[in-house]
Amino acid sequence: MAAKDSPLKQFEIDPISNIELGGYNISFTNSSFAMLITVLVITLFLTLTVNTRSIIPSRMQLISELIYNFIAQLLSDTVGDNGKRYFPFVFSLFMFVLIGNMVGMIPYQFTFTSHIIVTFALAAVVFIGVTILGFINHGIKFFTFFYIPGVPFYMHPLLIPIEVISYLSRPISLSVRLFANMLAGHTLLKVFAGFVVSMPFFTGVFPLAFIVALTGLEILIAFLQAYVFAILTCLYINDAYHLH
Amino acid sequence: MPQLNPEFFVSQLFWLAVFFTFLFVFLWRVSLPRITTVLEKRQNKIDENLSSAKELQERAMEIEKKINDQINKAKLETDEKIKETINALQEDVSLQLSSLDKDLEKKVSDAEKEILKSKDDQIKNINNEIVNITKLTVGKITDIELSDNELNKVIETHKGNFN
Repeated sequence: MAAKDSPLKQFEIDPISNIELGGYNISFTNSSFAMLITVLVITLFLTLTVNTRSIIPSRMQLISELIYNFIAQLLSDTVGDNGKRYFPFVFSLFMFVLIGNMVGMIPYQFTFTSHIIVTFALAAVVFIGVTILGFINHGIKFFTFFYIPGVPFYMHPLLIPIEVISYLSRPISLSVRLFANMLAGHTLLKVFAGFVVSMPFFTGVFPLAFIVALTGLEILIAFLQAYVFAILTCLYINDAYHLH
Repeated sequence: MPQLNPEFFVSQLFWLAVFFTFLFVFLWRVSLPRITTVLEKRQNKIDENLSSAKELQERAMEIEKKINDQINKAKLETDEKIKETINALQEDVSLQLSSLDKDLEKKVSDAEKEILKSKDDQIKNINNEIVNITKLTVGKITDIELSDNELNKVIETHKGNFN
């Protein structure tokens, strides 16, 4: 298969304008453009729809309020009252991933959440933030997080390393989950799009119908992954407050 | 796989940091407080309406109580009036009845007196007739003329045997 037809070609990064800062290449690329679009969509939508601040909301304002309440509910269910302080962060994270995924569903648009470096950076922010939070709340006692109470003592040499590894792999699992979902979905769409073109006569409508169905599924996954990202962040924040 | 090409890692991280930080700060400082204000305003309005509804309900209950009290009072007053009227009527009736009784008694006694009087008169008449008849009869049979006094004496002695 020629390189230009590769289903992975859609993930290639093209610089729009080359910028260099202190010897580092920080070119504004199609990935950055997708992020810009995402941020613009979120900020404009959430600002303009609530512009009138009416008590009886318009339909658009209602959407903003529903998203707000959705995340507020998620946070209060998992973390409780302590969670209110992290609401802006979790909300930003959810919206950024959600709209990033959705922007990626537009044909010919770049999906920045399909890049491991982006998802890993987001997951690392969550991981580092939560770890710092754990130490602030519990000090050195935070290490008891790896100690599981009520287990026979001879099991601890086995369980503590497992707990440590599972804790350290959190950012990896969090980032790879989102990245892999986006990568697989978009690749699959592209593969079937290739079939539409290459199949003889009118048989191409079958893969086309499959693409239509798959697009629906991908939109669902786009939402689901943003939700998973947000809820796991909430759970990690909860762990930083209540060790076990 | 383009994802593993480190050529644009720094660029992606840089722009991610820029855009995500901007988004976070903007939402934190501008968008979310707006929505919070709206939601709080709405909640306040709802609470306000609920409390005023409660107040109105309390007032309605008070008014209802007042109405019930007045109805009860009116009922009691009416009962009292009805009782009074019944009593007055009963008194009146008994008064009238007693006066009627008196009248009747008087009439009865008058009638009795009259009856007695007429009875006496009749008896006297009968006596006179008896005297006359006896006089006539004795005169025709025996040619003896009896005086009224003698006849009366005889009749008086046999009076009880006539009945």
